[in-house]
Amino acid sequence: MATSALEKTLSQLQSTPPPSPQRISSLLTTAKKHLLHLSALLPSPTTPPPLLHLARQTLETGALLSIRLQDPDAFTRYFQQLLPFYELPSSSYQPADNGQRSKVTGLYLLLLLTRGDYAGFHTVLEGLEVEMKGGLEADRYIGYPVKLERWLMEGSYDRVWGATKKEGVPSEEFAVFSEVLINTIRGEIASCSEKAYPSLPIANAKNLLFLDSEGSVVDFAHIRGWVVKDGRIYFPLQQGEDVRNEKEILVASGQVIENTIGYARELETIV
Amino acid sequence: MPGERRTLRSSKETPSSTNGEKTRSNSQSSSSNKDKPVPTRAPSSKSKALPKKASTKETTGDKPQTNGTEPVENGVNGTEDIDMVDDGPEKVKLGKEGDDEMTVVVPPPKGSKLSGEPGKDEEGDVTMDNAEAAEAGGPDADRVDPKVKAVADIKANFLLLERAVAQFDARFTLRVLRSISSVRKHLSPDLLAQLIIETYTSTSPIAKTLLAAIGKENASIESADDSLEMEIDGQTKDKTQAGKTSSSPKEILPEIDTYLSVLVQIYLYDARAIEVGAKFSSNLIERLRTLNRRTLDALSARVYFYYSLFFEQLAPLPPSPTASVVSIRPHLLAALRTSVLRKDQDTRATVTTLLLRNYLSTSHITQADLLISHSEFPPAASNNQIARYLYYLGRIRAIQLSYTEAHEHLIGATRKSPATPSAGGFYQAASKLLVVVELLMGDIPDRAIFRQPSLEHALQPYLSLVQAVRVGKIEGFLNVVQTHNALFRRDGTYTLILRLRQNVIKTGIRMMSLSYAKISLRDICLKLDLESEQSAEYIVAKAIRDGVIEASIDHEHGYMKSKDVGDVYATREPGEAFHERIRACLGLHDESVKAMRYPMNQHRLELKNAQEARERERELAKEIVEGEMDDDDAGGDFEGM
Repeated sequence: MATSALEKTLSQLQSTPPPSPQRISSLLTTAKKHLLHLSALLPSPTTPPPLLHLARQTLETGALLSIRLQDPDAFTRYFQQLLPFYELPSSSYQPADNGQRSKVTGLYLLLLLTRGDYAGFHTVLEGLEVEMKGGLEADRYIGYPVKLERWLMEGSYDRVWGATKKEGVPSEEFAVFSEVLINTIRGEIASCSEKAYPSLPIANAKNLLFLDSEGSVVDFAHIRGWVVKDGRIYFPLQQGEDVRNEKEILVASGQVIENTIGYARELETIV
Repeated sequence: MPGERRTLRSSKETPSSTNGEKTRSNSQSSSSNKDKPVPTRAPSSKSKALPKKASTKETTGDKPQTNGTEPVENGVNGTEDIDMVDDGPEKVKLGKEGDDEMTVVVPPPKGSKLSGEPGKDEEGDVTMDNAEAAEAGGPDADRVDPKVKAVADIKANFLLLERAVAQFDARFTLRVLRSISSVRKHLSPDLLAQLIIETYTSTSPIAKTLLAAIGKENASIESADDSLEMEIDGQTKDKTQAGKTSSSPKEILPEIDTYLSVLVQIYLYDARAIEVGAKFSSNLIERLRTLNRRTLDALSARVYFYYSLFFEQLAPLPPSPTASVVSIRPHLLAALRTSVLRKDQDTRATVTTLLLRNYLSTSHITQADLLISHSEFPPAASNNQIARYLYYLGRIRAIQLSYTEAHEHLIGATRKSPATPSAGGFYQAASKLLVVVELLMGDIPDRAIFRQPSLEHALQPYLSLVQAVRVGKIEGFLNVVQTHNALFRRDGTYTLILRLRQNVIKTGIRMMSLSYAKISLRDICLKLDLESEQSAEYIVAKAIRDGVIEASIDHEHGYMKSKDVGDVYATREPGEAFHERIRACLGLHDESVKAMRYPMNQHRLELKNAQEARERERELAKEIVEGEMDDDDAGGDFEGM
């Protein structure tokens, strides 16, 4: 009885066009309640396979919908709940559409990436690597964040920019992160530029920073504290190098004295 | 310990004791005096250790007599050990009760022989006689049959175990465990069955389970006697005694049970009887959990090790999430908890590393990380366990991108890894990971690493990898990864190696920055096989920001201009490197001091020595005062030099 109710809620959730956000969250809540009643929120050895399948579907739908609602925390929760289902042996239930799994995992990886949690990213990836026997990059959904991470790390920001465009994104849920990603790379490029260029014409900066107009370049420059003069951006120099050097020497001599005294003390204990 | 002392004492007063516990300890003490007269005797270290033991027992014998009503099991607890040390000064006073045992404060062998005599008990010295018989037969049998020698070794180990319990000294147990590798080659069902039957009574349930595990349920005492007669020939007297005593009822120490069980485990493992072994081990750890004896720690740690080894090899194998290793996690965690509560360092260390290995085998890195952060690795663990722990730690940290930490741990692991060729696999695995981590940190590993004979062949793919990274050519790097794909995957370094891609690019840029004062972005793009000039510009900019190179980019003209490289010796770097090394040396010194062992009651010897030294000094002073001219002689000597 509860199973049929759950099925009904699920079909409502998956209907096109999608219901309104308020309706979605209320539907998700009822779906989770049903799951609890069926004690299928966490898989156990006694749970019948069809129910497992249903529970997994519900959670996956919840995860995807929460991404669409731009609720990353809820998504993370759904993902954690899904993990035990993914760890289940394939013999106990036949996954009809494994596509959802890689989609959800790919989204989770992308979420970690946009948050700058590279350690978490690689930890998840390491687990996947073993499980999927190296088919990572071949998978459309998981390969996407993997490639993005690689480009981000080596600095090919133009490729990241290309990948966040409409045609580069594997599915509409992934597009949600594009905005965040662009902001991330813009910040990266800006900090790189500060160090790499003495000055830059505004027109070139527009291209470099993937901004639409020169006006927005000027705005961006103001936010970063750059000086705009005669159509060029002057980056604040690493001023006072000499002063810092002197300070460094002071610090260094203090360090040397401290170390030497330390050695003397140690030697005393030994001898 | 008090129980031990008490029984010894009481046995002296009433030599014909009937209590099983007492019998055992009698066999112990009689063994010590028996050891002396037999000419073909145990190694010198053993006999050296003996008098000390006897003396400790005798000297402490008086005190607990009045209040000691606890059973032996309690007596073996860790706190009792401290008690005994504290007893030291008191003992001297108590000794005035009239025994001449007090002469045995500093262990002279004469005293121990004397004190051991009253405890002589014909019925009790079962294992001792067996072992001695076998040991005596050793030289002859050595040429004929290594099996006999193995039996003798194992039985000698029983003795060591008994001594470990009696003296509460883990060193004896460790010696027993060390000898396993030499015995291992000779293990066979027949040999084990013989051992078990000779050690246990026919009705013992433990003996039955042991025999069942090696498929010798039907072996009976008679058949064992037969085989004994066959093997130890010409020693009729000893043999009959062995035959007689093996059927006489007596209590076997749990340590000996466990030791035999470990041998059975090893045999089953070597015989690839994985399923039987897994089942046997599961039952074994169930039994071990009920025992709370500190002298058992090292042995039970070994039991857990093989337990986990068996399950690792059971189908389905680890990478799949349903692997059978997963099923033993609750048991291992329970063992960890118990060992922490019991302050059981050996088991704690072993089980921690086993759990980490377990988690990593199914790549549950988050769980492994949580385990590390929530548990503390015992610093007193054995060297091998520390090496293992450091390796797993390094692996986890490498996956989490904390390369500096990983590097530190892996260096520790490679340095601590045992030098014996049998442990070469560990050294190789740790070195492989270390090479990759060093590359990830942007360093190029020393060429000398790859020249070591134990690593040369195994690290060949890694050498080509290092060469590819050093040159900074993406294409060459991808080629190497492609060629050794399967091998890297097997080593579990594949994902780490994939991360090297950016390092290859960085190295390439650095090479260019060093060799050219000014280079156009187009050339960089061509040389690094990048897709577009724009990519090259971003990559160079990032490299500048990350401090890989010292340069600036001219966007309008599209070139990169390198800055002058400063003198390294003007910076703090050499000083820091120097400091680092000095710190390592000092740390090594501290650790060696900490690792020194101070045997019990040794301070008495030292006190005596000090006394002697003081006397010598006084004499010397007297001599100097007497003959002032010696000084002149000495001075002359120095001038001559």
